[in-house]
Amino acid sequence: MSFASSIRTIATWEISQSMTTMGRHVLPLAAGLLVLLVLATAFAAQSGVHMQDGIYRIGIDDPDVARIVAQDNRFTAYLDAGPALRENRFAYDLIVLDGEIYAADTEKGRAALTALERDYEAYVSYVAAKEPDLFAAYPLWIDLEYVKSELDFQTTQSGQRVGTPPDSRVPPAPSGPVEAATLPPSAMPVSEDDLREQLTGTESDNPLARYTGIFSEGGGEDRLQTPAELSPPLPLDSIVLIFVFIFPLYFTSQFFMMSVMNERVGRAGEALLSTPIRPSAIIIGKGLPYFTVMLLIAAAITLFVGAPLAILIPLIPVVLFFLASALIIGMAARSFKELSFISIFFSTLATSYLFFPTVFANTHVISIISPLTLVILELQGEGFTAMEYVYSTALFFATSAILFYVGTVNFREERLFSENSLVSRFTDFIADMIGRDHPYVSLFLLAVFTIPFVFMAQMMTLVLFFNIPMPISLILLIVFAAFIEEFAKSLGIYAIARERPGFLTAKNLLAGAVAIGFGFLVGEKLLLFATLAQITESIFGSILFLSLQVLWMPLLLHIAGVLITGTFLLLWGRRAYVPGLVAASVVHSLYNLYFITGALG
Amino acid sequence: MNAHRIGLVAKKELAGLSAEKTIVFAVLLQVFIAMFSSFLLVGLTTMYDPEALEGYSTATYGIGYAGADSPLIDEFERRDDLILHRMDLDRALSALREREVAAVVYVPDTPPDAEEPVKITLYLVRNDLQSSIINVKVKEVLQDYEKELREVRADRMTSFPVGLNFPESGNDENFFEFVYGLLIPLLVLLPAIISAALIIDLITEEYQRRTLETLMSTPVTFTEMIWGKIAACAVLVPVQAGAWLFLLGLNGIAVNNAVAILLHASTVGFFLILLAALVALHYRERTSAQFIFSTALVVVLLVVMAVPRNPLNLMVRLAVDTAGPVHWLVLALAAGGTVLLGWIATVYARRIGEGAPEIR
Repeated sequence: MSFASSIRTIATWEISQSMTTMGRHVLPLAAGLLVLLVLATAFAAQSGVHMQDGIYRIGIDDPDVARIVAQDNRFTAYLDAGPALRENRFAYDLIVLDGEIYAADTEKGRAALTALERDYEAYVSYVAAKEPDLFAAYPLWIDLEYVKSELDFQTTQSGQRVGTPPDSRVPPAPSGPVEAATLPPSAMPVSEDDLREQLTGTESDNPLARYTGIFSEGGGEDRLQTPAELSPPLPLDSIVLIFVFIFPLYFTSQFFMMSVMNERVGRAGEALLSTPIRPSAIIIGKGLPYFTVMLLIAAAITLFVGAPLAILIPLIPVVLFFLASALIIGMAARSFKELSFISIFFSTLATSYLFFPTVFANTHVISIISPLTLVILELQGEGFTAMEYVYSTALFFATSAILFYVGTVNFREERLFSENSLVSRFTDFIADMIGRDHPYVSLFLLAVFTIPFVFMAQMMTLVLFFNIPMPISLILLIVFAAFIEEFAKSLGIYAIARERPGFLTAKNLLAGAVAIGFGFLVGEKLLLFATLAQITESIFGSILFLSLQVLWMPLLLHIAGVLITGTFLLLWGRRAYVPGLVAASVVHSLYNLYFITGALG
Repeated sequence: MNAHRIGLVAKKELAGLSAEKTIVFAVLLQVFIAMFSSFLLVGLTTMYDPEALEGYSTATYGIGYAGADSPLIDEFERRDDLILHRMDLDRALSALREREVAAVVYVPDTPPDAEEPVKITLYLVRNDLQSSIINVKVKEVLQDYEKELREVRADRMTSFPVGLNFPESGNDENFFEFVYGLLIPLLVLLPAIISAALIIDLITEEYQRRTLETLMSTPVTFTEMIWGKIAACAVLVPVQAGAWLFLLGLNGIAVNNAVAILLHASTVGFFLILLAALVALHYRERTSAQFIFSTALVVVLLVVMAVPRNPLNLMVRLAVDTAGPVHWLVLALAAGGTVLLGWIATVYARRIGEGAPEIR
């Protein structure tokens, strides 16, 4: 049987298999639930979300004012006479006396004040928009234009300011050539009625409108705004994208995970393994239906929200990454509850890796490390370049490919049906990749392969520590970067120490360390030059990827790190692994710290 | 049913959880998200509340001004953190591209009392942290200018809104609503959902691994075994939710009425666990059970959230101390529903248990 036809056989079998388990009993109920879901959504849309009802108490002496907050469920309004309100002022977050507003001096009081301010603004624009002379009520309109600037990451890092000489009263002169700019016309490009509609439309809608609005292209950029409407990019809007795009994809990948797990429960997959079909064909065949379904789901959602289909392109690596991890988790978990917990844990990690950078989608280049940022850019109608695509998806493609490879190599009876603990299963997986005939070549390749994961983890720490004040964030970054690298490098040695303790002699350890050190360096080089140039040029990057400046120094460092961990393992056995790792990380951090202080000082 | 034997089963399940170290993942998860909640607080407030950005508040920014003279110039002069430079538009934009200035405004020669509006063009650098701050600062200036223009054109207005005077609050974005209105109820709900998913795993695993026969050979009845599993999952809910509230406390977020919140969370958790147990008993296969349960969960949550004074809203109100005694009534209702569901589960489990020998 050819490779392609065996894939087709497996794929067909997988589809029919899942149809019979899900089949008759599940699908009718699922359809019923889907109808209920639509009804529930309609009910929720009609009745509104009552999550934050009544969190603020407001005391008011004037029924007209009370009408302003009447529509806002967050407020519980109490009408009372002025003196009574004044007396009980501590029972309220806000009180309104004769048009004067007093807020409690608490965080809650200030939040209530902000909420009331927004309601009041909406009310004022509601009144003003009915004004026969709109331009008396709204005399000022702003046309917001964005200019692209090339400096990006390096200039804004860590709050340093570049350019803009602060106190000079002399007009700054551009050093480069001056491009001619067209003067914007003073006439309004939009009709008065449209503006009126815009004013009443955007303010009075329910809070969900802002989130559905994220899909209508342009947002506030294309239209004229009143000064009150100007706002910096909102931080949490992109979480909606997670709900809309990522959760359905993740959800579907769970079926693949379960399908892999089901092969192992009660050795059900034994028959499959005894056929001459290659493991790679089995995995591709099993995964293909899910891959297709996930793409179709994403396409359906895209069409449904009316977004450009181009956003599917950055979602492909995400789909692959979910499937690859589902495969590994499905192969490694010992029980259903372990499967659940690992997959929940993994999904949180993956979601935050995807989500948090997008918070900065319009403010910072670092956001590009998440493919979701490309989705946002595409939705905003800006699009992305091929370079940006490579930059933000390379890690996802690389890690998925490696995970699939690890899965394929280990898709064998003795791995799938073993009942060992999770850690030992993972070391088994790794040990399997280290060939007996060419251990050093394998260690070298293993080190190369761990690089994408190391980068992903380090990117995560970069995102995490990005906001902590400067010296602390640098130190944390140095320590974590060192630890992650040492951990990754030690994996091969640890797996060997566990599986083939006899192999771990002083001579072999030295040779292995050299192989790993070389592999690490080569992997770093390859990936960095391909993709991450922008980040590496910043000061944070110089910490993470310090090792690139001089070649032999980092090589020695990498080798030394493995040697330290390895020596601990050699002398005191596996229990010394963690102390060894810590020792190696300390050395690594000190080395980085020395170079950074040297570079900064 | 024998409480002692239920306890034994529950203890066995909990021991199994800790033996597999899966609970470690749950703890890691909590710590990880707690890290992010502080990230959200620290990071986002500094990002979007310019006053909180230490290094920036003292800095001054150059603004390029192009076009006709206008009272806007005086408005800018009043700020000491913005310095206005009069320039040609093309020179100003080139300077902006090189970041010699932080923003450029272009003002047309529309007189303040003209029939038509004044249309100002504001140029900012895209993809830039600084632009977010400039945006806020320029917005304040423009709002003042708008007020001034409104006064000039006041005689053309016909109706006036009720006047309200707001105290100077510094206009700061704070995350009170996000933390108390969204984060806390979600964090407290999460353990309930996790436990519900867990009971499905525990029950379907017995079926799919065919370990029921061994269990049934012990004196434990089927119903007792199911209740043991339910008890194990239910215990985890208040423990985890309590841990959340404690972690939030460590992050400086004080939560009122923690005990009442935990009571609500436990009831909601128990309800969901029983629901999940019923689904699992019906399907006896993980994929189907999890699929149906998670879809049903979304439906239930949507409906619940659309009802005023739902348990989630009450948890929010309890956390900010505006709940009032009515929450006890809702708690009693939810508990009543849970007891009913518990009775159904018991009857269903007993019926399955009687037919035990021929479980699939």
